[in-house]
Amino acid sequence: MLKSITKSIIESVMARFLTTHAKQNAVEAREKEAGTKILYTLTNHLTDAADIHDIAGIATNAISKMLNSNVGCLWFDTNGKPEQTFIQQVSPQKRIHRKIPDVDALLHRIEGLKTDYDIGTEFYDWPIYGRETTLGLIRVPKETAKAMSESQTRMLHAMIESTALAMDRFRAMQQRIKFNEEIAQERFRGNLLRSISHDLRTPLSGIIGTSEMLLNMTAKDDLRYPLMAGIHKDANWLHSLVENILSLTRLQDGKLVLNKQEEAAEEVVGAAIRHISRHYPEHEIAVHVPDELLLVPMDAKLIRQVLINLLDNAVKHTTLQDEISVSVTKDVERNYAVFSVRDSGEGIVASELPNIFQMFYTSRVKHSDAQPGIGLGLPICDAVVKAHGGRITAHNRTDGPGVELIFTLPLEVKDHESI
Amino acid sequence: MNQYNTYVLAVEDDRQIRNYICYLLNTEGFRYTAASTGEGALSILVSEPIDLMLLDLGLPDIDGMEVIRKVREWSDMPIIVISARDQDKEKAAALDLGADDYLTKPFSATELFARIRVVLRYLYKQNSGSKVQSSLQVGGLQIDLDKRLLYVDGSETHVTPMEYNLLALFFKNIGKVLTTKQILKEIWGIGYGSDTQALRALMAGLRRKIEKNPAKPRYILTEIGVGYRLVDE
Repeated sequence: MLKSITKSIIESVMARFLTTHAKQNAVEAREKEAGTKILYTLTNHLTDAADIHDIAGIATNAISKMLNSNVGCLWFDTNGKPEQTFIQQVSPQKRIHRKIPDVDALLHRIEGLKTDYDIGTEFYDWPIYGRETTLGLIRVPKETAKAMSESQTRMLHAMIESTALAMDRFRAMQQRIKFNEEIAQERFRGNLLRSISHDLRTPLSGIIGTSEMLLNMTAKDDLRYPLMAGIHKDANWLHSLVENILSLTRLQDGKLVLNKQEEAAEEVVGAAIRHISRHYPEHEIAVHVPDELLLVPMDAKLIRQVLINLLDNAVKHTTLQDEISVSVTKDVERNYAVFSVRDSGEGIVASELPNIFQMFYTSRVKHSDAQPGIGLGLPICDAVVKAHGGRITAHNRTDGPGVELIFTLPLEVKDHESI
Repeated sequence: MNQYNTYVLAVEDDRQIRNYICYLLNTEGFRYTAASTGEGALSILVSEPIDLMLLDLGLPDIDGMEVIRKVREWSDMPIIVISARDQDKEKAAALDLGADDYLTKPFSATELFARIRVVLRYLYKQNSGSKVQSSLQVGGLQIDLDKRLLYVDGSETHVTPMEYNLLALFFKNIGKVLTTKQILKEIWGIGYGSDTQALRALMAGLRRKIEKNPAKPRYILTEIGVGYRLVDE
């Protein structure tokens, strides 16, 4: 008897429990379904958002609806600083802008946050965390926040998550656009410089040729001879400047294309010396190359330009009696080809050494007979050598007067190297 | 010097440079005419007995390459292309297409006439049907093509058969640029067309036997991005 009573009690309790449980399940399922719907609508709207302001508005609207409250949203700019105002939903169709009394204090609290949200005087603030930075805050009125159910809290988290994704996506797109614009601008500048240089080159060739022709027609003691020689010399200088600018625009063209091949170091050095000797026939240049052929992966034209610039620099800073030498050696240990150009001229003032590879830097020590320089030669050397994965350095010689400029080129091209 | 009464066509779109070339041709006694476009050049070429063409590669209307291709359909006349410094690829391509030599702007009168002299020498030798001399000399280099012997500054110098072949090729083309592709084809034959490293190594070996300093060559000069040239003295 007792047994049967106990059994019936247990059964009724069980039945009751099971019904409640089923009811609860049904409520949760409904809530879940409603939640999914809200999230789906939010995400849908967010994809149509035109900017951060729009995203904030959509999020505020959706969260307010979900919590049946007047939620606010504050967003941070691209530098991670909060805006001075935030928006707040005041009715289903209306949002207002409100000033934040002490932005810095708020930011400070958010940065030091150890819990999910910050408790302020009017709002509880939930940060919107992006992939890299905090993107903003969702501000829930204190009374609403305190009364939130567990499922509402879960929902809030999910909605903030969606908002963060949308903001991140928008920021990334914005950055990509900005980056592309910068590249386009850089390319435009490069192309402009390039076409100007191209256009300069043809008439310069004409001036060089014609002035040389006139020189050949004129006696050396003729008063007009030095005038023509001046034209010829300046035109030559302008021409080499144009060539340098053209190398530079190739390097900064956004997409750097090195035409790398295994080249014989001695051939490139030989070609550079031949060029310099044509312009300065009276200067003697000593050369030392290894007995064994040294093949170096390089863009031969650009490295020849580097050597020409270094030799030109050496010639300009020396007198005819000074020695100029070029040498190539192999650094077996580090697997480098080492090119060195030395002169025995007056050297470089120690304080200027760190600056000589900077664009548009010219030595403040003026030479009465030197060509005007805009300091393009050495920066181009620097850029070209770096593009090859090498290094260029300059120092005053310790074994006597003069300067030594050394650059290295790796002998092995790494497989993953992309240029 | 009347330059064998050679009739030269100068094709160049820049007026200043065209005038300069024409003036130089005039001073050396050449007969000459000029064109500023590719179409203009072609119409002169089909109507006048041109012996030699100086051709700027960067023409406003048609590509200089196209002019070479068309001319080569009916004529072997010497063509010297004129180009800017950064057109190495075009230069090599023009040479492989059948141009005889090239000049880089800005060029001097000396360079222009050196090129013309070389191409004319081969043109008239060809036309007169004279035999190739068996002994040739450039500076201190002397080669005996019959006995396959080489003398450097008077003393017999041993070179490998490949090095000899390479040097002989240059002696058959004294003063004329040879592209890497042309050399590879002549020395290694078709099918070895891209092994430029082998050529660099062969050249380095040869230079160490004929040059005092291989990085300051007196005889075989490197034309970066194009090929090599045996100097014409």
